[in-house]
Amino acid sequence: MLRNYNILTAVIALTGSLSLFISGEINPIFSFSPVLMIYGYFRLVKNKPQAPKWTINVLSITTLIIFLLDAFIASDDYLVSVANLTILFQAIKSFDLREPWDNLQVFFMSLLQLIITSEFTNSILFGGIFIVFLSSSVSAIILAHFIKTGSGEKIVLAKPMVFITLITFFLTTLLFISIPRIAGGFWGKGHKKGIKTAGFSERVDFGSFGTVKLDPTIVMRIELSGIERRDLYWRGMTLDYFNGVMWENTESERRLIYKREGFFTIKPYKKQNVTVQKIYLEPIDTEILFGLPSITAIETNSRIISVDGTNTIYIPMKKNKQFFYTAYSVDEPVYSGFIEKKYIQLPEGMGRISELARNITKGKTRTLDKVIAIEKHLKERYTYTLTVQKPPRGVNPIEDFLFRTKKGYCEHYATAMVLMLRSIGVPSRIVTGFYGGEINSYGGYLIVRQSNAHSWVEAVIDNKWQRFDPTPAISIEKPSIIILYLDTLKMQWNRYVVSFSSSDQRNILRLFAFTLKIPDMPDFRLRSIRDILALFLVAFIMSTIAFLIYKSLKREHYAYPTIQYLKAVKILKKKGIKVTDTMTSTEIKSIFVENSLKEKIEELITMYEEHRFGGKILTPDDKKRYRDLVREIELLK
Amino acid sequence: MGNDLLYKLQSQIEIVIKGKSNVIKKAFITLLSKGHLLIEDIPGVGKTTLAYTIAKSINCSFQRIQFTSDLLPTDIIGVNIYNQETREFEFRKGPIFSNIVLADEINRTNPKTQSALLEAMNERRVSIERKTYLLPEPFMVIATQNPIEYHGTFPLPESQLDRFMMHIKIGYPDEEYEKQILLQPSPIEIADKIKPIITSADIIRMQNEIDNVTVEESLLDYIMSIITETRKDDRIRLGVSPRGGQFLLRSSKASAYFDGRNYVLPGDIKELAPLVFGHRIILKTKSYISDAEKVIEDILDKIPVPL
Repeated sequence: MLRNYNILTAVIALTGSLSLFISGEINPIFSFSPVLMIYGYFRLVKNKPQAPKWTINVLSITTLIIFLLDAFIASDDYLVSVANLTILFQAIKSFDLREPWDNLQVFFMSLLQLIITSEFTNSILFGGIFIVFLSSSVSAIILAHFIKTGSGEKIVLAKPMVFITLITFFLTTLLFISIPRIAGGFWGKGHKKGIKTAGFSERVDFGSFGTVKLDPTIVMRIELSGIERRDLYWRGMTLDYFNGVMWENTESERRLIYKREGFFTIKPYKKQNVTVQKIYLEPIDTEILFGLPSITAIETNSRIISVDGTNTIYIPMKKNKQFFYTAYSVDEPVYSGFIEKKYIQLPEGMGRISELARNITKGKTRTLDKVIAIEKHLKERYTYTLTVQKPPRGVNPIEDFLFRTKKGYCEHYATAMVLMLRSIGVPSRIVTGFYGGEINSYGGYLIVRQSNAHSWVEAVIDNKWQRFDPTPAISIEKPSIIILYLDTLKMQWNRYVVSFSSSDQRNILRLFAFTLKIPDMPDFRLRSIRDILALFLVAFIMSTIAFLIYKSLKREHYAYPTIQYLKAVKILKKKGIKVTDTMTSTEIKSIFVENSLKEKIEELITMYEEHRFGGKILTPDDKKRYRDLVREIELLK
Repeated sequence: MGNDLLYKLQSQIEIVIKGKSNVIKKAFITLLSKGHLLIEDIPGVGKTTLAYTIAKSINCSFQRIQFTSDLLPTDIIGVNIYNQETREFEFRKGPIFSNIVLADEINRTNPKTQSALLEAMNERRVSIERKTYLLPEPFMVIATQNPIEYHGTFPLPESQLDRFMMHIKIGYPDEEYEKQILLQPSPIEIADKIKPIITSADIIRMQNEIDNVTVEESLLDYIMSIITETRKDDRIRLGVSPRGGQFLLRSSKASAYFDGRNYVLPGDIKELAPLVFGHRIILKTKSYISDAEKVIEDILDKIPVPL
């Protein structure tokens, strides 16, 4: 039994360290430590002597010094340094497990490691590791109990272990559903690393775009519902000022929008025209929210959002972590209002470009026709490529694109179009965001990757901002089925675990309320007596479950013979024989004088006494005999 | 079932003392666990016969001391007598130098004599004038008390009672057995005829073998909870001493051994607890030992048995 206990301890120690390593926050240098740890447990299981006390002490003190250096000088991040410390201590401890209760320290450290990991990662792998940790610690604790009480018998662990693990899951799920959500981690520090190679960026220059276009990193996953839309332009932000080399956003005024009943309403809208997008944004280094134009409302956990004059939506102080929101969009062009001068601003030396624009629009009188002509010109006469050669020194990249290479990517096209439009007096701007996405038919959602980053054009026609995209259509390679399926798993993890929101909570409760035929359940803002009652109900159910677990624990810690003996006693009670809890087995035996039951009872009780108090080893045959006897006793009068 | 030799012994003694197998078993349990027995009962139920028959069947020496108010300590343990021929004092051993000693009506004698007996019982040796004489092995005192007559008696104080391992009653035989007793000759005559089955050496071996009987840990907890309960109970002024606990454990082991087991059962403990603890506790109300036994039984009915 001690051997199994030690093996379980090793598994628990491994889950803790492993989880930290999968979080990717641990310096790979530390991987020597789990290797040492495995060796330590190997020795322990083989009953080799543990390391001398002084070695352990020296190592522990050294580790502590390393920890202090690490925490205050090297990594400067207390969580990471605590994680490093536990990894080292786990290895040391594996050579210093002398008494069964020493293992408790290992369990504690593993738990700590798992908690730290939960702050670092949202990985689905972590969920798996957690299950392993949970089930092995449950069994280890049960074993520890038996080691403590000194019962030398073999104990059947499988049933109570599975039972307790399931109950724990059930309770955790219940807690997960019922406890009010707190946005963000406990530590308030975004530990996730943002997506560094930004396909989407808040400015447009003509630099490293090519590599970005090949980057398959997923930026967001979107569940779409509502009105069918063909063109999926995930609008991010607009850029209005071009200095000849790059675009910038000069829009600086932002207006704050406050939440009303869970919603940030940007402008009033009619429900029937709305496209609803549930968006799971991966950690991305921007405060901007994406969505189909034009977003009229946002529903999210965040307290505050702000909007600028170009309908770009920001979450101030959004950290580099996953972010979930629902966007409500209406497919209507936005009324332009007063058009600022900056939308027809042009840098110096654009003569050649405006000449080209005039040539293209020759003979057109309506603005729309002129714009469409330019869009068509760019679409048809230029080639889309991701490998753009750098223009010769001193040459404007757009001129280079328009007149020399005639090859470029979306930013060249969009920039060229805006510059041409501005040169003929049409107010216009660049819009950046993402275009399209792959439909994952398993999960029924859309995957948008860095490679979907795109920029297009908005121009004012008839006092409305309208969208034009001069970039020719490009074919996208479809990813394999397996990849799509795996991504579905990840999406579901994100959807139902990571970004489980209070509105989901309400939905689930409503579902329960429906099945229980209770008219409506509260949304956990205690407003009435009924809400409080409902809360009490939940508390009552939880405590009942806790009590049942306690009872089952009390029952389950009996060894097999005792369980069978108790079964028989229960049967006797049912048969109307007066048996009390303070009766000894000897007394129960002596109740019966002369009948067929006496024989069976005596045999069973004697077996029980031998196994329980006599230290006789329980064999599978004995078990069978127990079962048979209990059954026979049940059948006899 | 049971230890064959002891079972044979028990049935042989039962020929003499009819229908009292339980009492015989208790006497052997006391003997095997190196304790002493206190029998509280009316005269004529066979106390003397029991002691005599036991001694006879295990081939041991037997002495009966009738306690009277004028009995002196030297009458029990012996006396130094001046030998005129050798011109030396020589020790003449008293009746206590026997394997089985029956101390009849122990409460009739004065405390000084009582304590001389009890000291010898406890220490298994006698010291006279700086010389120590070991008592024979095995050694067991069976003391009797008459519970009805109080006039002119010196009841044993609790501290003295504590030295007895067990306190039992013999009680009247069942009607069926009593009829047989009416017909048969005097029991001592029958006892005289019986042959020893084992020797005193066998008894010593068995006494040592009792140490091999195992006790599961939860049973120790069971004993502890009985003891603790006697110390907490409202009806009890003085609870069981640690020695009482030791005696209960030892006698439970002997009981298991008697039944041919090498492990103690909760049943052993529960059966013996009233007999081992009954005379050790002091109730708040003035009472007989039998009342105390009832309280112990009451406590036992409250404590869950280890499963």
